[in-house]
Amino acid sequence: MSAPVAHALELRGLSKRYGSFIAVDAVSLRVDRGQFLTLLGPSGSGKTTILMAIAGFVAPSEGAVLLDGADITGLSPERRDFGMVFQGYALFPHMTVAENVAFPLRVRGLSRADRDARVRGALDLVQLAAFAGRRPSQLSGGQQQRVALARALVFDPALLLLDEPLSALDKKLRAELQDELKALHRRVGRTFVNVTHDQEEALSLSDQVAILNHGRLVQMGAPEALYERPRTRFVADFLGKSNFLQGTVREVGATGMALQAGATRLVQAGAAHPAPGRPALLSLRPEKIGLLAGAETAENEVAGTIASWAYLGAGYSLSVRTADLGEIRVALPAWRAPIAPREGLPVRLGWAADAAVPVLEDADAA
Amino acid sequence: MNGGYPAGPLARSIAWATVLYLLLPITIVIPVSVTDQRYLSLPEHGISFRHYANLLGSESWLASIQQSFWIALGSTLIAVTAGTLCAIGCWRIGRRSTELVRALMLLPLIIPAIVYAIGLYRWFGTLDLLDRFLGVTLAHGVTGIPYVVITVSTALAAFDPRLEQAARGMGASLGQTLRWVILPRIAPGIASGAIFAFIHSWDELVLVLFIASRNVFTLPRKIWDGINENLDPSMAAVAVLLIVFTVALLALDGALRARRQ
Repeated sequence: MSAPVAHALELRGLSKRYGSFIAVDAVSLRVDRGQFLTLLGPSGSGKTTILMAIAGFVAPSEGAVLLDGADITGLSPERRDFGMVFQGYALFPHMTVAENVAFPLRVRGLSRADRDARVRGALDLVQLAAFAGRRPSQLSGGQQQRVALARALVFDPALLLLDEPLSALDKKLRAELQDELKALHRRVGRTFVNVTHDQEEALSLSDQVAILNHGRLVQMGAPEALYERPRTRFVADFLGKSNFLQGTVREVGATGMALQAGATRLVQAGAAHPAPGRPALLSLRPEKIGLLAGAETAENEVAGTIASWAYLGAGYSLSVRTADLGEIRVALPAWRAPIAPREGLPVRLGWAADAAVPVLEDADAA
Repeated sequence: MNGGYPAGPLARSIAWATVLYLLLPITIVIPVSVTDQRYLSLPEHGISFRHYANLLGSESWLASIQQSFWIALGSTLIAVTAGTLCAIGCWRIGRRSTELVRALMLLPLIIPAIVYAIGLYRWFGTLDLLDRFLGVTLAHGVTGIPYVVITVSTALAAFDPRLEQAARGMGASLGQTLRWVILPRIAPGIASGAIFAFIHSWDELVLVLFIASRNVFTLPRKIWDGINENLDPSMAAVAVLLIVFTVALLALDGALRARRQ
């Protein structure tokens, strides 16, 4: 690979309608040079349509796609200069691995010697040099995926687009290839745009994650920011697991507020809050809740009984029934767990005032 | 089929009866072709190959065979080019309206050949294409299109459209995509279509009877005239050669299909 030339990608008010169905609804976002962006959402959220619009396979109804500030909305796919890893890889079955990787170079009219050198480089990059003469059907799923990557990168494209690149692989292989993909991104230093419905993949791979639902961009940010400070119930629910606590605002202070949920009083840190008397919704991650032993106290405390539990290897997942807050899910590390879980066991749950985050109901966020 | 029930005696006998019904009329020409008589008949006193010798020594028969071959080759070229492009076009556009185009392309199979021939006769008259090599080649080429459209469409149905997207995405023009990705994948379908189009022209008679008279005298036309006029056993010999040639072509088609799988 030659010196990395990364490009910035921007979408401005991108919409795609199919008849009365709105697949993508006024999505605007920006990826900086060399960043790894993941479009994350459930099926039907419009993420693949956005990728296809970036590639030029789908013509947007409105809006523009810009590469380094230049409008490329009207360009046909073959003139956009992107590499793409398709869902299911789309390797040419009648060509060998080397011929597949050489395809974009052949299209560009490179001489055979140039082609051979770059194909070798690209296959080395994905550690498949030994398989150059094989047909795609003779490779495993993981190897095919790497061939697709080499083919997408061999011509130094401005952008690399990935359409659910890992979805066809089993779980263990997926984790391995996630690491490889991340290392590859660092090595080639190019702008990557990835589409997935797998939230773990999105968190572990990306510099930026854009969360989509019903064709709309709900929230975009670094993985930590999205996980720690989700803006809406959907984001908190889709990225990881979350409890939702419903209460009424009682008092609002400079550094936080107090909520009332039935007979339980909750304190919540943070600056901006709704007015007293208004309903409020908190998102509380299961791993931020502790079990209180004996005389231990916490800023927020609630008593309940274990309704059900499961052993997950690294930890226990408890579902604790409470009077005012419904069932609360708690993630408890298994190593030196303070209790042996069993159904009906009374427990006290505690969490800090800054453990939960106020979120908007999805209808209010729209 | 593996693991199915074996066929019962009734099913077996019906199946064999059907096979015999299909094959016997064809195989009857084999003994007839080696008859020792001067007219179309079964051999009486012994086997003789003189009708084969007669056939291969006859300039008029060889001329007909040659003419038929070139017409079949030319019309195959027309049918393959037009049929393949049509099938690929319909496949790429993929709209409901292309179903209509595809149905239209099958018309030569559906419309009785004689109806089509009457139309051609009128039309070719004004175009000065009657009794000319080009006229017959065109007529056979156009009526051969359905075979190619069917086989190529079938091959395209199994073609993953993402391969085309992938090629375009990597910068390939439509022409490059066609040449390097689509055509190699559907080549067996094109070959099958070509073989059928060739056979179609090779044994076509009705159109030839209408649009050709003296200059163009294809092999089927010569057999037809021979049967009507002089009952020469050379006809049986040529029929056997025709069968051998056709079976060889079909075997080639089978071999191509086997290689694809």
